Amino acid sequence: MLPRIDRRRFLSLGALTTTVPSFLVKTGSLLADEKSLGNRDRVLVVVQLAGGNDGLNTLVPYRDEEYYKARPKIGVPRTQSLKIADDFALHPETGELRTLYDAGVLAIVTNVGYPNPNRSHFRATEIWETAYPDKPVHTGWIGRYFDAECRGIPSPMLGLQLGEKPAMTFAHPKGRAVTLTNPSLFAWDDATSQAMERLNRVVPTDNPQLDFLQRTSNETLALSRKIQDALKDVKSMTEYAPFNFSQSLKVVAQMIAAEVPTRVYYVSLGGFDTHTTQPRRHAGLLQELSQGLHSFLSDLKALGHLDRTLVMTFSEFGRRVAENEQQGTDHGTANVMFLAGGKVKAGIHGGRPDLVDLNDGDMKFQIDFRSVYAAVLQDWFAADAKKVLGTEFKPLPVIG
Amino acid sequence: MPSRITWDVAAASHLLSRTEFGGTPKKAEQLVARPLSDVVAGMIEEAKKAAAPPQPSWVKEPWVNTERVYPETTPMERLENHRKTGQRQVAETDQLRAWWLDHMIHTPAPLREVMTLFWHGHLTTEARRMFVSQALYTQNVALRTHALGNFRDLLGAVTLDAAMMMYLNIEDSDAKKPNENFARELLELFTVGLGNYTERDIKEIARALTGWTLDAPPGTPKRPIVPDAPRAFCRDGLIPTFVKEKHDAGEKTILGKTGKFGVNEVLDIVAAQPATARFISAKLIAYFGASDPNNELRDRMAAKFSQTRGDIAATLTVLLTSPEFFAKESRGSLIKSPVHLLVGTCRLLNLDVTATPSLAQVTAAMGQELFNPPNVKGWPGGRDWISAGTLAVRYHLPEILFDGKEPAGFEPIATERNFALPADEKARREMIARIWDFDKKRREERKKDGFKVSFETAKVLDGAVPEKPEELVAALAARLYVITPRPDTLTTLTEIVRNAPPAERVKLACRLILTTPEYQLA
Repeated sequence: MLPRIDRRRFLSLGALTTTVPSFLVKTGSLLADEKSLGNRDRVLVVVQLAGGNDGLNTLVPYRDEEYYKARPKIGVPRTQSLKIADDFALHPETGELRTLYDAGVLAIVTNVGYPNPNRSHFRATEIWETAYPDKPVHTGWIGRYFDAECRGIPSPMLGLQLGEKPAMTFAHPKGRAVTLTNPSLFAWDDATSQAMERLNRVVPTDNPQLDFLQRTSNETLALSRKIQDALKDVKSMTEYAPFNFSQSLKVVAQMIAAEVPTRVYYVSLGGFDTHTTQPRRHAGLLQELSQGLHSFLSDLKALGHLDRTLVMTFSEFGRRVAENEQQGTDHGTANVMFLAGGKVKAGIHGGRPDLVDLNDGDMKFQIDFRSVYAAVLQDWFAADAKKVLGTEFKPLPVIG
Repeated sequence: MPSRITWDVAAASHLLSRTEFGGTPKKAEQLVARPLSDVVAGMIEEAKKAAAPPQPSWVKEPWVNTERVYPETTPMERLENHRKTGQRQVAETDQLRAWWLDHMIHTPAPLREVMTLFWHGHLTTEARRMFVSQALYTQNVALRTHALGNFRDLLGAVTLDAAMMMYLNIEDSDAKKPNENFARELLELFTVGLGNYTERDIKEIARALTGWTLDAPPGTPKRPIVPDAPRAFCRDGLIPTFVKEKHDAGEKTILGKTGKFGVNEVLDIVAAQPATARFISAKLIAYFGASDPNNELRDRMAAKFSQTRGDIAATLTVLLTSPEFFAKESRGSLIKSPVHLLVGTCRLLNLDVTATPSLAQVTAAMGQELFNPPNVKGWPGGRDWISAGTLAVRYHLPEILFDGKEPAGFEPIATERNFALPADEKARREMIARIWDFDKKRREERKKDGFKVSFETAKVLDGAVPEKPEELVAALAARLYVITPRPDTLTTLTEIVRNAPPAERVKLACRLILTTPEYQLA
């Protein structure tokens, strides 16, 4: 571990900051060993809030009478909400998010959406993951980013998802991402892994499929070492709650700190489809989100990697303004997004939600989610956002 | 066309590796005694007359909708019925996966299942979008029934069937607003393929397919529905039923033909297209792994397909007796699908296996969850089977199949949070401790009878176990590899095996062979 720390310190003292032009990263990485890839690269952690998070009860417009009129039973009581700005308060179970907000590492974007919103979970998720609202495409926006901008980087896992079903965000014919339910899968006993390494040494043959398998086997075993080292060598500096999302973030923090060659991580928190008995369920989910992110960012800060990390949350849609008959909310439209990390422009981006001028009971969006993606691509990764998104979007100024 | 076929043991092993999840050297030797055309004809004949696996006990005739909502159903009842139904469907679908895997492992006519699996990836349904376990079963039966029969019959059996009707919205498509979902996939993915139709054809087919719903058996009294309840809560049966008033009986023009077409005419037209013959042939070639760079084999198969009006067995026969299929470029060129890998290993090593939901979960972890392809295109196959994540699971297969042990990391990292923790520090810590404990117990409970597998050294080589390490390795390599392994592989295997106690050598060698790149190839 020591040489890595020295190099990191050297880099942070020198003129070479974490913002390296992408052509340099590419050229450098071709020559350098894989280890050196990690610490120069910025990292994105995509957090999916699956099921459609209720943005209005997450970031509460606590001074808006219309809000309480529309949600007499499930509205977050004004007195319990956590005020963070003139017009906004956070849900009472997200105290840690307020801490992050106050510490200047949390940005919140309001009224995010896209034209002609879709209310099907499946299609709406696909829209967010592909960044193509108008027509179905088979590639994800990060998949296209990897293909367009990271071709020269020799990494078996440019994208790493902790979860079961591969996220469409990474989808691409030349896929560069790995989906793992659990990184412990990469552990074999010593004798087995030694034997496996010997049996999987690359010896070129005249069978292209066999050579492909040999290469991937080798990468897998290399990955296995990296992951095991990351989990063994990097000790978490904070405590994480004993739940899937928090524990996944713990692993992600270890990987980031171990500088594995991964640029985008993807973690999901599911269960936001709160059609019934929303207050109790939503409280638990938001607590998990809030505590998970807080543990994660504190951990990264202590490990010295906060400045190269950006977290971005998304959810397929927000929920209807008015509550339904079963103390819940149905599928809606515009929503909030969180961005967190050492380099975000903290604060609230976007205006108050307009709860009067509705479209069939749903809010009208004001900020296109692709302008947030454009910021991530262009201002965070120094990538050509238009090439990835297919259309020019002005990056929302959320990255500092 | 490549030169003629050398019909030898290697060729027979190659054939078996594609048509029967692999075969032993002994079986390959038996095959070589007969001419190739006889062998393929016999294989297909056997597959055609193979018995179907018995119907799972949870299949109900007629099907009952246990989450049906009536005007008098209270919101609490509705929620509870929905929850219980969901749980049952998940459990039944898990059992269905195990049921099919078990049949694949034990059937005496594996080609029938190889073909059923082919159609499952072609005329497919995603369980995650259509959670009625019984419909998944019925579709699987239809695929198996027609797997080596006539393509038009197969297409008809799958189209007017609950799974497809629900999945691609044939159900309740109304003349007023025809749903185009099925029409589009029918042309793009199931029959003629991209470039062989227009958007207009899609619209016209969608019109022709209007007027179908799923209902209770004829004669069942109508039951009241709750307006605005989603379809899943008011379906009374899974029987395709024609509703004349919702059908567009007007004239349509589809792929150049005009008439007052309904579903049968549509399927007749698309199934008879030369493009369909080519599309299906090309897909079979990819699935069985033949090298056909100039589409010569495809065109010969397509000609046979058209000439026989869609006889699948006849088309497959052209493939399996072709010089292309036996060419050098085709040997060892196919990456085994997860199902092929798992089933083939059980069969080749004579493992004592009863498939369980845990075992079915293994193919899912490797990227092929039965009844849940990634999307309507099915599994892309080929190199898409292999990534670091899925290969890691493949390399854990020996632990699972030989030791019945579930490798670490097969489960999600921890449980989901369904409630808020108390704010009080002490109460919170106590609750966290309880959760960790509960989680541990749950895992132990689930793993209790996870895998029903056993590895018996005596059975592996049919009793003939060579003593010398190099001979043992050679015997196992001949049994398990379909290609000639890299010289290094055999040397390394022999060296490791030599250092192991004799009693452990067979299992160790098998273990190591399963974690080589060569073993991933068929």
